[in-house]
Amino acid sequence: MYRLFLAIRYLLTRPINLLGVAGITISVWALVVVVSLFSGFIDIIERHVHAASADIVVSDLPSWTSWPKLRSALADEGNVAGCSPRLLHYGLLLRPGHRPPPTPLPGRGALHGGDQPFLFVLGIDPIAEATVTGFADWVAHTDIPADLRGSTPTLATEDGVPTVLIGLDRMRREGLRRGDRVVLTTANQRSDANGNKSAEKVQIQLVVAGAFKTAHNGFDGNTVFVADATLRARLFPDAPDFVQEVAVRCHDETQLKATADRLQRAVVRAVEKNQAAYGSVETWREKNGMFLASVEHQRGLLQIVLIVIMVVAAFLMLATLSMMVTEKTSDIGILTAMGGTPSGVTMVFLACGLVITLVGVVVGTIGGILTGVYLEEVRQGVRWLTGIDLFPIDVYNLERVPCAIDPWWLVQVAGMAFVTGGLVSAIPALRAARHDPLVSLRGI
Amino acid sequence: MSSPVLQAVAVKKHYRLAKHEIPVLRGIDLSVQAGETVALLGASGAGKSTLLHVLGLLDPPTAGEVHFDGQRVDNLTIGQRAALRHRHVGFVFQFYHLIPELTALQNVLLARMMTTSVWQFWRQRKQAKAAATALLEQVGLGDRLRHRPSELSGGERQRVAIARALLAEPKVVLADEPTGNLDSTTARGVVDLIFEIQRQRGLAFLLVTHDERLAQRCHRIVRMQDGVVVS
Repeated sequence: MYRLFLAIRYLLTRPINLLGVAGITISVWALVVVVSLFSGFIDIIERHVHAASADIVVSDLPSWTSWPKLRSALADEGNVAGCSPRLLHYGLLLRPGHRPPPTPLPGRGALHGGDQPFLFVLGIDPIAEATVTGFADWVAHTDIPADLRGSTPTLATEDGVPTVLIGLDRMRREGLRRGDRVVLTTANQRSDANGNKSAEKVQIQLVVAGAFKTAHNGFDGNTVFVADATLRARLFPDAPDFVQEVAVRCHDETQLKATADRLQRAVVRAVEKNQAAYGSVETWREKNGMFLASVEHQRGLLQIVLIVIMVVAAFLMLATLSMMVTEKTSDIGILTAMGGTPSGVTMVFLACGLVITLVGVVVGTIGGILTGVYLEEVRQGVRWLTGIDLFPIDVYNLERVPCAIDPWWLVQVAGMAFVTGGLVSAIPALRAARHDPLVSLRGI
Repeated sequence: MSSPVLQAVAVKKHYRLAKHEIPVLRGIDLSVQAGETVALLGASGAGKSTLLHVLGLLDPPTAGEVHFDGQRVDNLTIGQRAALRHRHVGFVFQFYHLIPELTALQNVLLARMMTTSVWQFWRQRKQAKAAATALLEQVGLGDRLRHRPSELSGGERQRVAIARALLAEPKVVLADEPTGNLDSTTARGVVDLIFEIQRQRGLAFLLVTHDERLAQRCHRIVRMQDGVVVS
């Protein structure tokens, strides 16, 4: 009893111990809030990326790929609900006579849906695409005003000129309107009679059919849709059955990886030539793996930084506890005389550290959970007070600041805090236990 | 008076300072009977306090034996020695050694907390508090229960220390110059209190002192010089 009683009395009579409590509280709070924010952000980013992707994408297909043969191979897989062929190219999309935009600013790159001059050009069959992705919803998104909304049938030619669908934000940024003329400038590989390959500039005149909008700004900002026939006519006129990519929708989304593995074998068989394997099959998560991993890495790096802050807080606690032990060595003699043991003396000061840690963990965790739950309200409050937007949610196409509190992470944070607190408390506690009680009893 | 409650048998104590051994006790034989008051007199450096610490099991002897109630106790484990100290030995020191963060009542109650768990203490807290309050009232501090040591005079602090030493109802109290830090008037009051309690409770008291007048009030005086008992 005396260990806990004395520990609490020592702590309550020394306000400097609040420094240790504050340090642990802040580090625990920061670990809970920041990691929950990032976890919520990752959840939403994954949902947005998935919403802008097919479940599975078949790519890296060779030039001799035959869509009928490949479609048949894909359709044999039981989990495949639908397939859509795509031609995938790239290029600059400009108004006639306009120059390319300047280099994008830092932080406004492709991942953020920024002003990349180059675009991915997806040649699709709109009807087939709508069966495997959210394409139908993208072109009918409620954010798209009526004057930017594409007409039906989607991507049909206008006055014999092929059309293009552009991301809503890009259209607004570049002041494009439906019916505007644009030029897609790209290149194609051409072989001469000797088999020498060279790049050939290709320009395709297009009319803006309207806008599309997915939840993934990075996709919208860097992708335009044209009819597959448009690309085929100018880039692959001699290959009517050729496809470069196939979007696949699955019945059971929980079995994507296993389905992709099976499809990989089917694709290799379908496009095999000279016993060499061609074609790559990836789930939407694998396809966007680099992007998703980059956000995960940011969370990991922040975790390391915040854990370092916890260690710094623990050293603050070590300093205050060491001061207390130096001050309280006079008590060690009388505690020993009254029946205390060195281990009991150790426990008094260890209990001090653990009580500091406990209070810090409880307050920090509760504060972290409350801050996480009301993070959007906190953001709005800070913006109202200071004008500073801590988390610009519109950049990430969010309705409120995301937060996903993982109970297992809370347990891990508390565990880390107690291990760190226990270790730094043990140092002054053991020093107290080694103190000779007779020295203090003699009043030396 | 009957059998010795506390006994030193050929106790020697040396301290090592660098390569030198400094003898402090050179073979002490001493018995304290139950209910007996013994004064240890001697000049500074005679070894009085060291003998008190050895008899109180705070410091192990270099040679010789310490017996409590006829049982050898100097060879017990640290935990056993601590338990024996708690149950049977009370200490009073010249510098009081009260815990400054605690009130007078809490300082006395601390003696009860030393060997009880939180749950045990919670169950018997009312009895413990009543016993501590009664002791403080007995030493004349019934109205100072919630005062901290810094709010008490030297004499009052020593009275709190005496009450603390008595809470566990020890068989023997070891007092190391209990009046050494007090003025003569206050010291007289504390000495009167010690002897009154000794009479009421029949405790054995071993008092280390320089004060001849205090020593004369004890049943027996043991004089020490250079680590040996001279009379």
